[in-house]
Amino acid sequence: MLNYSLRRLAALGLVWAVAVLVTFFAVRLVPGDPVMMMLGDQSGNAELAARLRADYGLDQPWWTQLLTYLGGIADGSFGLSYRYVGSTVFDVISGGLRITPVLALIALALAVPLGVGLGILAATRAGSWTDTGVILFLVTGISIPGFALASLLVWLFAVKLALLPVAGWGRPDQLVLPILVLVIPPMAVVARLTRTYMLEVLERDFIRTARAKGVRERLVIWRHALGNTLVPLLTSIGIIFGGLLSGAFVVETIFNIPGLGRIAIDSVLARDYPVTMSIVLLFTAIFTLVNLAVDLLYGVVDPRIRLAGDTA
Amino acid sequence: MRPSSTTLGLIAGLMLASPVLAAELTTNLPADPAMLDPITYSELVAGDVLTQIYESFTAIDAEGNVIPALAESWEPLADNMGFRFHLRKGVKFHSGREFTAKDVKATLEQLLIPENKGGLNAGYAELVAGADKVKDGSTTELSGVRIIDDYTVEISFDAPDVLFPLYPLYIFDSEVAAEAGPDWLTTVSAGTGPFKLDEWSRGQEVHLVAHEDYWRGAPELDGVHFMIVPEMSTALSMYETGELDVLRADSSLNRQIFSDAGLKDQIMTSPTAQVRYVAMNPDHYAPFQDVKVREAVCISYNQDEMIEGLYEGAGEAHYGAITPGVAGYSPDVAEIKYDPERAKALLAEAGYPEGAGLPPLKLNDTANNKTEDLYMVSKWQAVGFPVELEVLERGAMLKGMNSQQIAFFPWGWSADYPDGLNFLLDLWYSKSPYNKGYSNPDYDALIEQAKQTADSEARYEIYHAAEKLLLDDWGMCPKPLRLQVLLVKPGVEGIRLTPFRMLPFEGVTKAE
Repeated sequence: MLNYSLRRLAALGLVWAVAVLVTFFAVRLVPGDPVMMMLGDQSGNAELAARLRADYGLDQPWWTQLLTYLGGIADGSFGLSYRYVGSTVFDVISGGLRITPVLALIALALAVPLGVGLGILAATRAGSWTDTGVILFLVTGISIPGFALASLLVWLFAVKLALLPVAGWGRPDQLVLPILVLVIPPMAVVARLTRTYMLEVLERDFIRTARAKGVRERLVIWRHALGNTLVPLLTSIGIIFGGLLSGAFVVETIFNIPGLGRIAIDSVLARDYPVTMSIVLLFTAIFTLVNLAVDLLYGVVDPRIRLAGDTA
Repeated sequence: MRPSSTTLGLIAGLMLASPVLAAELTTNLPADPAMLDPITYSELVAGDVLTQIYESFTAIDAEGNVIPALAESWEPLADNMGFRFHLRKGVKFHSGREFTAKDVKATLEQLLIPENKGGLNAGYAELVAGADKVKDGSTTELSGVRIIDDYTVEISFDAPDVLFPLYPLYIFDSEVAAEAGPDWLTTVSAGTGPFKLDEWSRGQEVHLVAHEDYWRGAPELDGVHFMIVPEMSTALSMYETGELDVLRADSSLNRQIFSDAGLKDQIMTSPTAQVRYVAMNPDHYAPFQDVKVREAVCISYNQDEMIEGLYEGAGEAHYGAITPGVAGYSPDVAEIKYDPERAKALLAEAGYPEGAGLPPLKLNDTANNKTEDLYMVSKWQAVGFPVELEVLERGAMLKGMNSQQIAFFPWGWSADYPDGLNFLLDLWYSKSPYNKGYSNPDYDALIEQAKQTADSEARYEIYHAAEKLLLDDWGMCPKPLRLQVLLVKPGVEGIRLTPFRMLPFEGVTKAE
């Protein structure tokens, strides 16, 4: 197990190194000069341009710039923002760091149990009207794009019914709609997967045995059957978390939440490349770490995988 | 003051045993400001907030006239080589200290000190004699500023400049840096304006509170919330539900706003002090050397069609080089008539019948105005120009334009200060670093003359002559003005929208 974890960590390091290099060179391959961009209409001003170029180290050879960039990542400042005068990237994104992961975790914490519940409900009543209703809801939930759902909910709950605020961050009532928009698609995915796995597991011999032994149906479903659907579900959670992070881009923009997603979009529009790239790096790091955690959790949930990992 | 409502408020407050609701105005900003200090200030979004906090020698009124603000009066020094300013007495900074001549000096110096990274306003300080010495770091004393007494200051220049009193400097409290340390820029409110910076929550809002000792009298509002809402449709929903009292809309909302009968009485519009034009550089496209070809370019598109079809009506036809509401604007500029037949005839006269013999031409622009660019390109193609649109990334566009490497492009210039010389000098004077391809020694001579003419009316006459020369030369093609669009909730009074965006909110009231 330890061996396996170490190998996974090494692989992770490689992924991060590639991400760092790609972001570094991507910024420099973008057409257009960041200094010209910063100056806008003033870019005829050669003196100012030279000063800014020196301030941002853009007059240095690329390997020096790469070292500076790595230094910025190492000390946690992530370098200087192009747009916010005198601010480091960390200053710009630190507010967002306290928002987006929290949003994603709340959404995950709601989506998984609700989705599992719905999936079991549908699986145990396979073929009934309840099942059809749940499937219909799931298909809709998966198919509606986040921005459409968000606009619809805002129109209904904020503009027409005036029950909830349109947008913003900081009060509990401002959380309701964004969380709802974030929760529905992953919940639908989890429910659909649960339903499929459950139906499969319920056909297995050990379930029949359990029922034959006279185990109560509730225990059959929740312990014997559900336990065996957890592994495939865990795999999907890693991917779902990635979906939540990208869902944050849409949700934060529409609901005006100053999280990493909105900061990323603003930085793209303002061509604040250091900020954009740092958020890409952070998302890469978060996503890969969550997936690593998921992989390690397999062993906890399913002893067979733990054994296989050690012999391999 | 409205004693009746105050009394009522007090009674209501006592009855409910809760504090009286503060009158706070809420409006939107399209992005988080890049900075909120008077030194590094360099963008419009920050300017919308800073203009509530800081003031300059002069201000503009709702009609766009220049009026005295922190200076009560001023007179030019000999040969227009400077000004003597008589400062207003009894003006209080947000700190409670009194504004005096030393603050003027400190403001100009701080803009120039290299470590401070002075932004847009540093350009004005650079005109002052001795600025070079401060800029290269050899001293922090600006020798061109002479303090006569607390309320009189003389500022001298290296070259004549008659517009200095109009420049929108943000004069700040010279003692703040010493008191609050080097980080004062983001934390302290150091102006004399009607509102003080209370709090800036990055990405969420900027909150201002009333400056009770404001020299024009305390503002009616208790505070202003600038909500940072980059997504315009979200901002419109917030306005509809009352979460915003004043919405500054961008052009993406025009269709929705102008087609909604319910909003009709809440719309406020004003042209922008931004001139828009198509530039033609003869150095990079030889046929542009012929005035007939340039005229053909300018009369081939229809401004009315653009306003109706592309801007949903939120535009105004414009045929000059100075925009309305800016000093020196001439309402008598001749209309440029849309006339494709004449354009074809002109091309034939120039030796290019139906465009035959014209080398291929590219119109360069960023992707932002693609629809509009494609419309114009199609109109030029229709009269015979072999022209295609080439979209450039913004950085590449700015570089190509400012190093004068591209031949043909539409662009705009927002006025930095309320005088038409800004447009005439920066864009079309051949020695300007921002020149857009027009060069005429007679025009240059007029601009140089205007720069030394202190008498406003005489100066405006020179502007008219220069503008006429530029237009008769077809040195550029004017494009329609875009309108600023505001939505203002019923009950909010006193919002003043000018070509220079909204004026400070000191007279704004909001009914509860």
